[in-house]
Amino acid sequence: MTYDYHEPETVAEALALLALHGEDAHLVAGATAFTLLWRQGLLRPGHVIGLRRIAALGGITSTEGGLVIGATVTHRAIERAVEVGRYCPALTRTFASVATVRVRNQATLGGNLAHADPAQDPPPMLIALGAEVVATSAAGERTIPVDELFVDVFTTSLRADEILTAVRCPALAPGTRATYLKFLPRTADDYATVSVAATLRLADDGHVADVRVALGACGPTPVRARSVEAALRGARPDARHIADAAARVDADIAPFDDVRGSATYKRDMARVWTERALTELVS
Amino acid sequence: MTLTKPAAPDLLETPEWRIEGRDKVTGAARYAADIARPGMLHAAFVGSPYPHARVVSVDAEAARTMPGVRAVLAGADVRPARFGRRLQDWPVLAWDRVRFIGDRVAVVAADSLEAAEAAAAAVAVEYDELPAVFDPEAALAADAPMLHPDAAEYTYFGGTRPPRGHPNVQGHVIHEHGDVAVGFENAAAVFEHEFSVPRVHQAYIEPRASLVWIEGETVHVVTTNKAPFALREQMAVTIGVPAARIVVDTPHVGGDFGGKGLSLDEFALYFLARATGRPVRSVLRYADELQISNTRHAARIRLRTGVDRDGRITAHQARVVFDGGAYAAGKPVAGLLPGGPTLTLAGYHVPAARVEAVAVYTNTLPAGHARAPSQPQLTFAAESHLDLIARAMQIDPLELRERNAIRAGETDVDGAVWHDSLAPRVLATLRAASPSGGMAARDNGRGLAFSARHVGRGKTSLTLTLAADGSIEVLTGVADQGGGAHTMIQRVVARELGIDAARVRVRQGDTGHANVDPGVGGSRVTPVAGNAALDGARKLKARIAELGKTLDQAARIAAPLVVTGEGEQNEHLYGVYAYSIEVSVDRETGSFRVVDAVLVADVGTVINPVAVRGQLEGGFVFGLGQAVMEELHIEDGRVTTTNLADYKIPTIADAPPLRLVLITDAPGPGPFGAKSAGELANPAVGAAIANAIDAAVGVRVMSLPITAEKIRSLLRTKELRAADPE
Repeated sequence: MTYDYHEPETVAEALALLALHGEDAHLVAGATAFTLLWRQGLLRPGHVIGLRRIAALGGITSTEGGLVIGATVTHRAIERAVEVGRYCPALTRTFASVATVRVRNQATLGGNLAHADPAQDPPPMLIALGAEVVATSAAGERTIPVDELFVDVFTTSLRADEILTAVRCPALAPGTRATYLKFLPRTADDYATVSVAATLRLADDGHVADVRVALGACGPTPVRARSVEAALRGARPDARHIADAAARVDADIAPFDDVRGSATYKRDMARVWTERALTELVS
Repeated sequence: MTLTKPAAPDLLETPEWRIEGRDKVTGAARYAADIARPGMLHAAFVGSPYPHARVVSVDAEAARTMPGVRAVLAGADVRPARFGRRLQDWPVLAWDRVRFIGDRVAVVAADSLEAAEAAAAAVAVEYDELPAVFDPEAALAADAPMLHPDAAEYTYFGGTRPPRGHPNVQGHVIHEHGDVAVGFENAAAVFEHEFSVPRVHQAYIEPRASLVWIEGETVHVVTTNKAPFALREQMAVTIGVPAARIVVDTPHVGGDFGGKGLSLDEFALYFLARATGRPVRSVLRYADELQISNTRHAARIRLRTGVDRDGRITAHQARVVFDGGAYAAGKPVAGLLPGGPTLTLAGYHVPAARVEAVAVYTNTLPAGHARAPSQPQLTFAAESHLDLIARAMQIDPLELRERNAIRAGETDVDGAVWHDSLAPRVLATLRAASPSGGMAARDNGRGLAFSARHVGRGKTSLTLTLAADGSIEVLTGVADQGGGAHTMIQRVVARELGIDAARVRVRQGDTGHANVDPGVGGSRVTPVAGNAALDGARKLKARIAELGKTLDQAARIAAPLVVTGEGEQNEHLYGVYAYSIEVSVDRETGSFRVVDAVLVADVGTVINPVAVRGQLEGGFVFGLGQAVMEELHIEDGRVTTTNLADYKIPTIADAPPLRLVLITDAPGPGPFGAKSAGELANPAVGAAIANAIDAAVGVRVMSLPITAEKIRSLLRTKELRAADPE
């Protein structure tokens, strides 16, 4: 039960190793999720390709109003980056709410997304921001909206010959507000029972110009709450309006029973926390 | 000007330095899993995937020929070896029947853990599935599947096993005193409620680990077991080797919380060591800790209590059903129930009572002892029950407890007469320490809970040696599981002799060197081992006095001076305690926060001031976890919370502020008037929180853990009822 560990120094080398070992290879960066799965015997690759030595995958860059974050940047580095706080304080808070500082020092952004755990914190926030990932293969690069990255539990739309190399967060229109709310009824150190990320911009006349809402822990993937968005877009939101819009989240989610709550409770909590997130953004 | 030397402060008032503290914080401390022997092999077990099945065949041929594999043993190789603390009903490796998922059928010893695990995965076992039973009430039905048809063969330590009404009963007891029928007839009102408490794990950091090797005729065991002498006796019977040829050594223990009195692996390791001639080590994975080790018993508790017009108890009746799991092996007490199973109204005057408790076999992981056995279950039920009675009778909950708290000369729920009682004083102190007036916010509420826990009983001895340099070495068999036992012994000896604590060294001896000790547990160590330390110090003092010398002079002329200190505590005494906890509830989600907590505890004279605080604060957080978040989920016999990401325990961020009010001036039977503190803080947290939530938002949670979802669901039902009374 051992594997060969590879440490390529360029994306090209990593892609070559991936091509060589195919299904028998597994990509890691911080390896926090991999280690847990491996120890439980859920993953048994013959080859593990570590991406941390690839300099091109590190670093956070500000672009015209937006951000590009390399796949191997740790959660802790994102949480502490001044550029991230300047871009969107809610994004900083989202990364700060992941697990513990020890995990955040090790776990990376790319690993988080490629792992496709539906209860993770960053995906809903990145969906609400309209972020996209860069997938690199021998054929070149393509971008995938984070919203379309997740297919099922632990499953993404990345192809077997692709490496998630970066995340691009677009410039936000002036006046855009964002929030991330993580409901933790048991302990501060837990996955969310439900989580809600939202961005919202009011036009000068008080109508909702843009709104995006995404939830975590509400089904097999992080999910965008399009029904909620549709109910709000163009409206002049008051408390009643927000409550009605939040109630529509029920149509967007498919939570299941687990130790953090029954599906029924999660549906109820998705409504409550969506309402709370939206209320915060319009206040 | 004259200078007077200030009186030396009493050693007991000086915060202690933990003897093992430096080694633990620097990483020098060695735990069982750190200890290796040359040529050591690693063990891996094969567990049953079925909750109840006949073992048809075990094919280990493929495993035996795998690289690095030195031995593979199955049930047939160890038959009829079974283990257990009081009743040896758990096969070392099952040879004919498995009784829960994870029950072991084979074990491998190999050069590396990886090789052992690979070989274990290659052992082919054929099973014939049997009907399984998971619910203890269902297991008591006449036609329920029988788990232990061979019970007559089992070794039971200490006489004859008590009779049982049904073959699936592990232990059964009925306590009765007073005239219960008349008591209920005389009651102004009778209340009946049922509560339930799930399985929880002790959740220590260190998983079980053990290392066994055979040297000549001697079997050496290094283990995480906190009761090494008891393990030696159990092992002697299980493996058929005289106790005198077994040496058990317990190094530092990384947390116990009641769970480390039962060993699982040591017995199979002996057979592997015998088969290979090599030392063999096993370290449980945490997933196995959560799936096969002895948890706290789940319980269903039905309480019925009659009260007079003033809320005074006239009669009490209770039935407690404990889910014992597949084996009773984890229970050390004679009745094969968790300790104190009938103390349903501990700390109250109960003129007449009939309390029945039964522990039942089910096809689930075995239950055993956990910090303050039975008390978290029973106190949650009793203190919720009394709160409901207070509400129904429109009596202030604290007032109701004050009226019923046991006083000197009165009889408790167990029929015992208390010669003295601090119960009224503890409640008066709680009243004084609780904020009066309204709540800080609309959905805040305050709840209280009161109970009593015995002062530990037992007997032990240790030896003190005065060396020529004036230092004293204490040799003890007490394994310090983290409670501070060794530091307690050191300070008792130092204080009695009037010397610096640093001059007293405490050495823990293995079972081949130290005097017999019953092990850590039952709140026993301070009153029992502490008394032995005090007795030893007094004997040493007497010897020095006989010589007519000072301690230092005696050391120079008479060293080594060796005495044996003996300690015994057999009185049935209680430490009483009470909580007042304020919660703030979020009605929309059902989640809540503890915003204030006060614990009043009768602890007697304090020997280790830092450790007492640690035990009470730690006990509070331990109790809080089991009150609000911990639950071992079991579906059709399969534990589904198999890691600490799903089985959550509190972190420091979840620990609310706790105000401690200690009553230390009512001396107990321990050294200098000490009592026990280790099991006072955890049992009552659940009830205090359930009561606080009722006070805050008017809903009653009848089961642990008290989750946000339960509260939300109760609130929703209440809202719907209010909206539509039809």
